[in-house]
Amino acid sequence: MSEKEIKGTIEEVFSYSARHPARLLEEYRAAGQKAVGILPYYAPEELVYAAGMAPLGLWGMEGSVRGAGRYFPAFYCAIARMNLEMALVGVLDGLSAVLAPSICDAMRPFTQNFKSARPDIPMIFLAQPQNRTEEFGVVYMTDELARVREELEAVAGTRITDDAIRDAIAVYNESRAERRRFVRLAASHPSVITPERRSDVLKSAWFMPKPRHTAVLKTLNDAIEALAPENWTGGKVVVSGILADSASLLSVFQDNRLAIVADDVANESRSFRSDMPLPEKDEAPLRILARGFAGQGADSLLHDPDLSRRARHLKGLVEESGAQGVVFVMMQFCDPEELDYPHLKQALDAVGIPNAQIGYDQQMRDFGQARTQLEAFSEMLADRGRRDCSAASSTGR
Amino acid sequence: MAMDEGILTRSESSGWEEAEAVKGKETLQSDERRATDFVMGLDIGSATSKCVVLRLDGAIIGKAVVAGGVGTEGAEQAKSLALQDAGILSDAAPMRVAATGYGRHLATDADGRFSELSCHALGALRLFPEARTVIDIGGQDSKVLRVSERGTLESFAMNDKCAAGTGRFLEEIARALNIPVGEMAELAASSGKCLDISSTCVVFAESEVVSHLARGASRADVLGGIFRSIAARVGALAQRAGICPMVVMTGGVAMNAGVREALADELGMEISVSPLSQHAGALGAALRALAQT
Ligand code: SF4
Repeated sequence: MSEKEIKGTIEEVFSYSARHPARLLEEYRAAGQKAVGILPYYAPEELVYAAGMAPLGLWGMEGSVRGAGRYFPAFYCAIARMNLEMALVGVLDGLSAVLAPSICDAMRPFTQNFKSARPDIPMIFLAQPQNRTEEFGVVYMTDELARVREELEAVAGTRITDDAIRDAIAVYNESRAERRRFVRLAASHPSVITPERRSDVLKSAWFMPKPRHTAVLKTLNDAIEALAPENWTGGKVVVSGILADSASLLSVFQDNRLAIVADDVANESRSFRSDMPLPEKDEAPLRILARGFAGQGADSLLHDPDLSRRARHLKGLVEESGAQGVVFVMMQFCDPEELDYPHLKQALDAVGIPNAQIGYDQQMRDFGQARTQLEAFSEMLADRGRRDCSAASSTGR
Repeated sequence: MAMDEGILTRSESSGWEEAEAVKGKETLQSDERRATDFVMGLDIGSATSKCVVLRLDGAIIGKAVVAGGVGTEGAEQAKSLALQDAGILSDAAPMRVAATGYGRHLATDADGRFSELSCHALGALRLFPEARTVIDIGGQDSKVLRVSERGTLESFAMNDKCAAGTGRFLEEIARALNIPVGEMAELAASSGKCLDISSTCVVFAESEVVSHLARGASRADVLGGIFRSIAARVGALAQRAGICPMVVMTGGVAMNAGVREALADELGMEISVSPLSQHAGALGAALRALAQT
């Protein structure tokens, strides 16, 4: 595959799917397949897949909040408001159910409001435990998953067998591995895999059938791997946040020659950075999913007695990827992320990793402030680069 | 003292009366000046346009500030007034032009465009070589910059979308109180009572102002409360970026002694300003242009 073909595949397959989830929903329905909306975070998508239904990620949409303003105040979580707006304006009409995890406090009131706004769309609630690593947490989560499984069976009108769940875990682990490979390859080819293309490839995994996404991505990854390495002269950053998929926002990164070489973004790497674990002897597949959830960490949503874990994770990402700094894309009124930010910033400042925070919300139309900040950040990284070079040459390094 | 005061001239164009010093200013004969021996920095903000002209040895030879920012004739006017201030024919072409500010991308004749954050950092450091923290309160946003001794940005924090703590906020309040923006500080100086006004939102603050007035509070006391509210907002931003002396204020609001003093109280630190503070962004852009010659 030539560079042109790589760009063409991304445009035709991944960008198309990332930008038109409603069309994909139509296609699923036309093919007689039921679709289930997957709300954030850490939903056991494998169970939906194992039931023969199509999971579709629900991460809000770009637009204005109107009807949802009756349910939530203006300063409530932007994703919750926007997901409810989608339900109210009919975007979610074709869904057979919605799977709603509750690890974020903001999502719990959302589920109540959703039920009252759209009683016609069944809502399957999943109460994940914050104390997830202890054995009692794993047992509790396994029980919850058993209930979710039953409710999904009722929606699908079919049994979800243990074997089907095991197959689904294998399909999803393969997808996770291929996405991790893509993230690494994208980092070394930033002018071909621009921030926008990178986002489209990762975002489309929330909507496309997983086996097809993985198959096309594998071919794409092989092609990127075969390209000559790039000599990138722009800046390199790690992006952290809940969402960083706005085309307007990503074009600001692009215009300022900032390559995204790694991420700590909830709907990107946080959702595939670790696999579901290998089964212990004769382990029931639901318990594997529960242990998979227990193994997650370094996330503002997850309780961790070790407060420095996420900061260490971010520093590790910077080191491994060769990034020069971190950009926090702060979702409006997201308490978990806002609460994590001060100590993350402090930890990065302490080791001299430049960082900047830009505010984001899906209702944003004017990215002037983000442009100013990213332009300044890019100049800051370039200035530091020049200083480091001159220090190196003056010390003979 | 601001480093460049010695070569400043009073600018009719800016209406800026404080820097009367003319010592050190060379008499420039426009016909002696070659078309390319100066550079220009242009700061097109949301409310005003500023321009600074530098000689190739770095001396400031002209400056202007005019009301009218993005989308107005302000930038063109600022350019020609700054050239006039420098004693240069208006059709003379600078060697390089660098643009900054919210409207920098509209400056089609600029050779380079830079963010106002890095330009304010550079400009402030030129005015105060000891500056390590720069607080810039402009028309529509406020920023706190940590600056290295070389004038490069170390870190920064910028206000979120709300206009609380910005120049626009002051304008809104001036309108609500029916007083010219330029007279606010003087009026507030006579305040005798500490009124509390919300620091979170312009709309809330404005309605609080109206209720204070309705309860018979004096405009001076309300203004004192407003200045403290801006100081609280910007002070929190400063904590986020990290504060390190010397603290310098730039941007149009730096000229407001009331805000300046409230902010100094809030931070528990002295805040330095130069008569050229409002030009710091344009000066930084001009220095960027100079570095590229
Ligand atoms: S983590 Fe933040 S963005 Fe996500 S649901 Fe919770 S409050 Fe909303």
